[in-house]
Amino acid sequence: MILDLHTHSIMSDDGRAKVDNYCQWIRKKELPIDGFVLSEHRQFDATSDYRHLEDQYGLLILKASEVETDYGHVLVYGVNEDLVNAFDFARVDNPLGEVLEAARRCGAVAAPAHPGRVNVGMFAHFERKGPVEGIDLVEIYNGGSRPGDDDLSVREAERFGYRGIGGSDSHIVSRIGRCATEFEEEIKDMDDLVAALQGGRFEARSWA
Amino acid sequence: MTAPRTERLTFDDVELGDDLPETHPDVSLEKVRLFVEASGMPFARFTDNEAAKAEGLPGALVPGIMSQGLLAVMIHQWAPGCRIQKLDTVFRFPVLTGSKPRCVGAVTDTDEDTRTVTIDCTLISETGETSLLGTAVVALD
Amino acid sequence: MGVAGDGVDLAAIKADWIGRELETTTYLVDGDDMVKWAVACGETESRFIDPADPDFQAHPTFTSLFMHHPGLPAEFPKFSDRPGMDGGKSVELLRPVRAGETLAGTASVADIFDKTGRSGTMYFVVHRTTFRDEAGEDVAIVDWKLITPGVKA
Repeated sequence: MILDLHTHSIMSDDGRAKVDNYCQWIRKKELPIDGFVLSEHRQFDATSDYRHLEDQYGLLILKASEVETDYGHVLVYGVNEDLVNAFDFARVDNPLGEVLEAARRCGAVAAPAHPGRVNVGMFAHFERKGPVEGIDLVEIYNGGSRPGDDDLSVREAERFGYRGIGGSDSHIVSRIGRCATEFEEEIKDMDDLVAALQGGRFEARSWA
Repeated sequence: MTAPRTERLTFDDVELGDDLPETHPDVSLEKVRLFVEASGMPFARFTDNEAAKAEGLPGALVPGIMSQGLLAVMIHQWAPGCRIQKLDTVFRFPVLTGSKPRCVGAVTDTDEDTRTVTIDCTLISETGETSLLGTAVVALD
Repeated sequence: MGVAGDGVDLAAIKADWIGRELETTTYLVDGDDMVKWAVACGETESRFIDPADPDFQAHPTFTSLFMHHPGLPAEFPKFSDRPGMDGGKSVELLRPVRAGETLAGTASVADIFDKTGRSGTMYFVVHRTTFRDEAGEDVAIVDWKLITPGVKA
């Protein structure tokens, strides 16, 4: 099962894509993905309900968050009420260590996004400030990467022993599915996704 | 290069997922100078490579608002007579004057009530970087 | 929201500036400039490049050229001493702009926010200019995202 683990809708301040249009696009273009995760910036969208779109288009649509830390952006899967109260999702400078610890404590999974991005990716921060403990998963393929960014992500992830996921980081409809993650097991809901990310049975994919 | 179409495209001709013909705009020094003259932006960074480099730039740049205009031209060539109601773009990476960028677009939403379509449009630099991306809302007959 | 690590009190700045009207400036839409603009962009439709066309009009994003005059006022807070960047523009065109007409552009601060991006923590100011014709009707709305990097860590 292939899921795009990093997308944004109009709920994100810089998102321009409606979720319905994402679904139509995936089907119209016959993209090789079975669903996607909406990872809105600095918030968790607890209210939107996309089950009707799942039924209509036969896609899995899950919700996560992309938060901001002192080591760059971090994707968080399995957001629950405990986690929302554990730190301020709206802040731009949450300490990475605290986000990782909170995610673990609350049964969620945190994965630094586009860590190979020049200047602002996690690995650039590592060079300046030293590595942070407690990471085992990073986004190695990001659909918004510039040439070289993902190569660095892959290389450094391997060096540090991190597993890698893929996501498009789409903010407009036509960018969805450029990168994704292929899972060996079927994923039916966020609990399944979290378990799969924790269990390690997946591979990052890129068509960018 | 595909010649611009002359027959009018109507709303009923368009579907979500349709790709716009790719365009290869001319951002030569001559064209950028003309644009700078029209827009009253006499900044050397747009027309003088050395002056641009002295500012820490990689070379003379195509003005951002000219890049927007290039996307509008792509849309007009796809649907002559259409009416662009909104063009919302984000600058990501500079386009060098004299380089060879390309514009791509696709229809990502249609609205039957207003007979408008949304187009994702992107200007891609010669080196493959996404320079400008955004969405346009276009009214069709 | 208190003062950011770089000393910026974003909440106070937002309360003070969002929605505040800045200057109103008038602009004469010059037909020659309209043609040059369109030709420079590679336009071939006669309604944009031929003044004799009965539907001669400015290219859709033409009003964004007025955006740079005058920009944010001198008293607008400085987030840092680092140079700013143009983050993008949104142009909404409510009707075609015609040669020879005079537009009044009223500027305001539509939004201010911070986020981390490719260049670190940055402050975004959305500068909005609403252009009205001589009858007072809205013609175009141009949003200009100005980005100022925060203080370098």
